[in-house]
Amino acid sequence: MRTHITHALPLLALAALAACNGPRRVRERPIMVNGDRLPSAEQAVAKANQQGAREQQALVRSRDSVYARAVATCRGESCAYITRGEVALGMTPAQVMAATRTSPQAWTWRASGDAGVLVPRTAGMAPRDANGELVMVQFRDDRVQSLSFREPQGIRVVASPLDTVAEERTLARANALVKEGDDFLAAGDRARALDRFDRAAVLNGDDPHLQYRIATLLDQQLRPLEAQIRYQRFLNDERIRIIAAQGTANAQLAEAIAQARQRLIVLERQNAAAPATPPAAPAPSPAPVAPPAPAVQPVTVEVKVTPTPATPSTSPATPTTPPDSVRTP
Amino acid sequence: MPLALPLRRAATLGLAALALAACNNKRVSRVDPASVTDLSGRWNDVDSRLVANELITQSLSGGWLGNYQSARGGQAPAVIVGGFRNRTLEHVPIGTFVKDLERAFVNSGRVRVVASRDERSEVRDERQDQQENAAADSRAKLGRELGASYMLQGDVQAIEDAEGREKIVFYQVDAFLVDLESNQKVWIGQHKIKKYIDRRRIGWD
Repeated sequence: MRTHITHALPLLALAALAACNGPRRVRERPIMVNGDRLPSAEQAVAKANQQGAREQQALVRSRDSVYARAVATCRGESCAYITRGEVALGMTPAQVMAATRTSPQAWTWRASGDAGVLVPRTAGMAPRDANGELVMVQFRDDRVQSLSFREPQGIRVVASPLDTVAEERTLARANALVKEGDDFLAAGDRARALDRFDRAAVLNGDDPHLQYRIATLLDQQLRPLEAQIRYQRFLNDERIRIIAAQGTANAQLAEAIAQARQRLIVLERQNAAAPATPPAAPAPSPAPVAPPAPAVQPVTVEVKVTPTPATPSTSPATPTTPPDSVRTP
Repeated sequence: MPLALPLRRAATLGLAALALAACNNKRVSRVDPASVTDLSGRWNDVDSRLVANELITQSLSGGWLGNYQSARGGQAPAVIVGGFRNRTLEHVPIGTFVKDLERAFVNSGRVRVVASRDERSEVRDERQDQQENAAADSRAKLGRELGASYMLQGDVQAIEDAEGREKIVFYQVDAFLVDLESNQKVWIGQHKIKKYIDRRRIGWD
């Protein structure tokens, strides 16, 4: 009996070992074997086709209805804006949708009192017009008050008709680039700052201060030749600006002088024609003569004309008092 | 002894017939392309079709299409096929299921597909050639190409595990659509295939 157990022990150990190194057969049930048939994707495509056509029709119908409403209410230039696909100030919400070729499904409308705002329904899929991707359209009394575009340099806001002019748009981009350059400069990245200033200078070549900033940056980066060219350009630009400003001021001065002379003649004639008795009503006050303020005013021109009413003691032949002051500091 | 000759002749004829039969062992037949036929266990047409079917279903039912169409007044997005990499050690012809996907996009009418970089170079050459040689009224105009909004990219990866005569191969196919302006992935499709290959010497099912 003992001998049997002694013989069985190695066998048991062997069995235990074999159990450790057990079979690795995979006992999963196959989901596809030889001879099966694969389902076709045609059904999925046909279903997508039908569903897509339904959705597309609904969207197109909605868009066309908005478009019809927009065109029915547009006048003159706003019709041209819609045709060109540009959103402009003063448009109605329907006209904004027509200009962006979208339907109400693309937007979310929020209103409070007489103010309203249209924002894209999907953040990553904003509607766009011919000028760019719209982030927000603000309304006052159902008319566009301001527009915000997403641009590479940030958000550009259009709040006045001037902002929509191409030059102003370019200027806004140049300013955004300068701002970005300032950020890089603050972060100590001069190379990138210079790159942004360079790009801004291409867009807005008339800004001498930008040239000056580029020049100083180049100077700091030990690029003397380029810095020298930029400094010279800055000085030339400044000189041209001074000449231009002087020319504008002189032109305005000449205009003011001509206006003053004209008024003198008019007043003299009025005085000559006036009766000896004082008039019941004072003479009509002349239109104030004020030249338009120049963009840069190195020379201030102020023209003040005060009409002198005819007095009984004054002889009609006596010339009228000239304008109080024509000062040119 | 008189029987020896006929026996020998019969044996010769039998051998000759056997030899002939051995020479004519090739059989060719057409089978249904939708049938599942696995021989070696490597990537085959069944895998390609499975991947294509799955990606087609996933892509056409994804929310990206609805979002795009809502924001663009029902316009269908334009997609260009970009790089689709095979990151496995075996040969996986990517073109088969990518072309299936392209075909499904076009046939569904919900997605517009523009020619890829390789395809368009030939078209551009032809268009350029027309500017000089074609009649003015039949010339294809320049600068009228449709710009894609999204690029289809993806890859195939495989994991193998083998022991003795058994082998498991796992394939993962990932496809995604990337917004060309923002680099945003607007859709990601995925299909996984796991194969068990058992090479038994003698066996019956």
